[in-house]
Amino acid sequence: MQTHIISLLVEDNPGVLTRMSGMFTMRGINISSLTVSPCEKEGLSRMTVAIKGSESELEKVRKQLSNMIEVLKVVDLKVNDSILRDLCLMKVHTRNTDARAEVMQLAESYGAKIVHASLDSVILELTEEPERIDRLVELMKHFGLKQLFRTGITAIGID
Amino acid sequence: MTVKKLSGAEIVVEELKREGVETAFGIPGGALLDLYEVLYNEGAIKHILMRHEQCAAHAADGYARVSGRTGVCIATSGPGATNLVTGLATANIDSSPIVALTGQVPTSAIGSNAFQEASTFTITMPITKHNFLVTRTEDLPRVIHNAFYIASTGRKGVVLIDLPKDVQAKRVEVELHPMDTFPGYKPNIIPNKAQTKRAAEALVNAERPVILAGGGVISSGATEELRNLAEKLGAGVVTTLMGKGAIPETHPLCLGMAGMHGHIYANRALNECDVLLALGTRFSDRLTGWQLDQFAPDATIIHVDVDAAEINKNIQVDIPIVGDVKLAISDILKWLAKERIREGTVWLQRIKEMHSACEDCIRDVWRAGSSTSDILIKELSNILDGNAIVTTEVGQCQMFAAHYYMTREPRTFITSGGLGTMGFGFPAAIGAKVAAPDRKVVDIAGDGSFLMTCQDLATCVENDIHVVVCIFDNRYLGMVRQWQELFFDKRYSHTHLGITPDFVKLGEAFGCYAERVEKPEDLKSALNNAFESGKPAVLDMIVGKEDKVLPMIPPGGGITGMIGTERCKRI
Repeated sequence: MQTHIISLLVEDNPGVLTRMSGMFTMRGINISSLTVSPCEKEGLSRMTVAIKGSESELEKVRKQLSNMIEVLKVVDLKVNDSILRDLCLMKVHTRNTDARAEVMQLAESYGAKIVHASLDSVILELTEEPERIDRLVELMKHFGLKQLFRTGITAIGID
Repeated sequence: MTVKKLSGAEIVVEELKREGVETAFGIPGGALLDLYEVLYNEGAIKHILMRHEQCAAHAADGYARVSGRTGVCIATSGPGATNLVTGLATANIDSSPIVALTGQVPTSAIGSNAFQEASTFTITMPITKHNFLVTRTEDLPRVIHNAFYIASTGRKGVVLIDLPKDVQAKRVEVELHPMDTFPGYKPNIIPNKAQTKRAAEALVNAERPVILAGGGVISSGATEELRNLAEKLGAGVVTTLMGKGAIPETHPLCLGMAGMHGHIYANRALNECDVLLALGTRFSDRLTGWQLDQFAPDATIIHVDVDAAEINKNIQVDIPIVGDVKLAISDILKWLAKERIREGTVWLQRIKEMHSACEDCIRDVWRAGSSTSDILIKELSNILDGNAIVTTEVGQCQMFAAHYYMTREPRTFITSGGLGTMGFGFPAAIGAKVAAPDRKVVDIAGDGSFLMTCQDLATCVENDIHVVVCIFDNRYLGMVRQWQELFFDKRYSHTHLGITPDFVKLGEAFGCYAERVEKPEDLKSALNNAFESGKPAVLDMIVGKEDKVLPMIPPGGGITGMIGTERCKRI
């Protein structure tokens, strides 16, 4: 199953999120990530929804979303033609000096910032393509991830 | 536009009048006192007090399906609104236009579990085309105008407006009668010219064309265009349950309803055709059966639907056309303007053969082996002769009616197709009779279904709404019993209804005319008595306890695998 990223332009009304997510629930589709934020037009919001599913499921979902009265635009963002970003905050165990040095080195090579450090852990921040974040997360699991927070994907089409 | 200082409730009623609403079906309540205060002195809108909110929704639905106009129902907050839910879901899945108004606790109390509070807005979201929770009185004109616009355009459906008590009470200066619509709602009804041309070419080159007419043909008012197209192409016409009435079932090209309980030859036509033009249908599983490879296997499929989301949803099609059915057929007819009317083809001969086999089966009332239910419904069809409006409950009675009741006109066969709501037919008949007071209105009911909404006999008597309820009385939840008989070894788990009630006494207790029909021969005089009684009527028709609706596609089967075809004429 492929990950699809759908970008929606919606009216900023109470209930829009419920209506949108309810449509996915009705069809048994799990939303793997979701961001909602204001956009360049007053009174409208932009949602970026990531789902896993087949092409035909995506097509059905796209049409159902277009049918919603409060949805103005539905774009199926192709990974190659879009800029994708995810923001990640993670707290990593650093039980000894060696571990701390290694974590900091790896963080640096990924361009992650160390935003806080205590004796037994550090907090890293990384804004990147989701797949690169996945890789850093995998590496950090080796040291022990205390907590992981991700905002979910936000994306913009190049054209 | 005029600026006036009005209460929210007054704005609601002013805007309803502007939308041309003449009738509303509802029940008042604490959260609706302001609205009903305005309705008290309102001459332009006739309010019919129902006895259950579910019936208010079904009545508005029946009204809409018969009149083609948007039905209106009203219920109070909490239980009033939750009682509406079944009726709204029924209408929405069958694309019937309704605007529902519900009371709500004051905005300050929303979310506090106040008395009679339920979150109507979230509860009804998945069963409406759109819904509103109005939190500012100033928004009412725009909301109501758009509610009617959304309900009655594109793929029609249900729009609910939740009205908190304080929003109804507050007085504000507003401009009435706005015209603006929502930027995200632009129904696409104009078919693509290139696609209709492709469709026309496929149809011209077809040897064995079949048209499948769904409910969309009726709701777009395309019955005449359908007939012209079928005659021009020499195409067989089969209908879905919702499409019954799209073409007169006596028409020589009509092969009746297809699907799980359809006519064997309607299904066979789908199986034999080389081009299938599907109009305003969503290819529900009750039409296609479950073996999709058996459905029109050799056909190029053209699918016209006003809802783009229906294209390629259940069946993969070759030529999709998004748009209004009437406009699409008109366009196809224009492309075919130079073609001559198809006559004397082999396929027309085959259609004739299949049509007469169906007709024999339907008209030949006393065919050996027919059950009482078969005979009664054929009798009913012969007596009414396509002149009445028929509504149905759900289950065996519905499928007997779908199979044997012959429609002549659109909007005369009203049934819950998508949701399959027991208890629908009787309140829908109330709405139908209000929409068409000069026509005979008959609810073809089962005993199980009728008991679910029969309290509204009171509504009929109090308002002189003379509908006739014909109950197929077999003391079973018949369709479930049939499945238990055929597929569960006759283990009749909880389908026997016992001996109560006495439906004649029940009818009489409400002040209706009531009569028991012990034998099919007595139906004619009983119906006559009912129509002449000047009252709503209940006819308790005793039928065979183990009558079955046959033929049928068994669960998991495909459209060619019908069982119980022994009584069908072989050709």
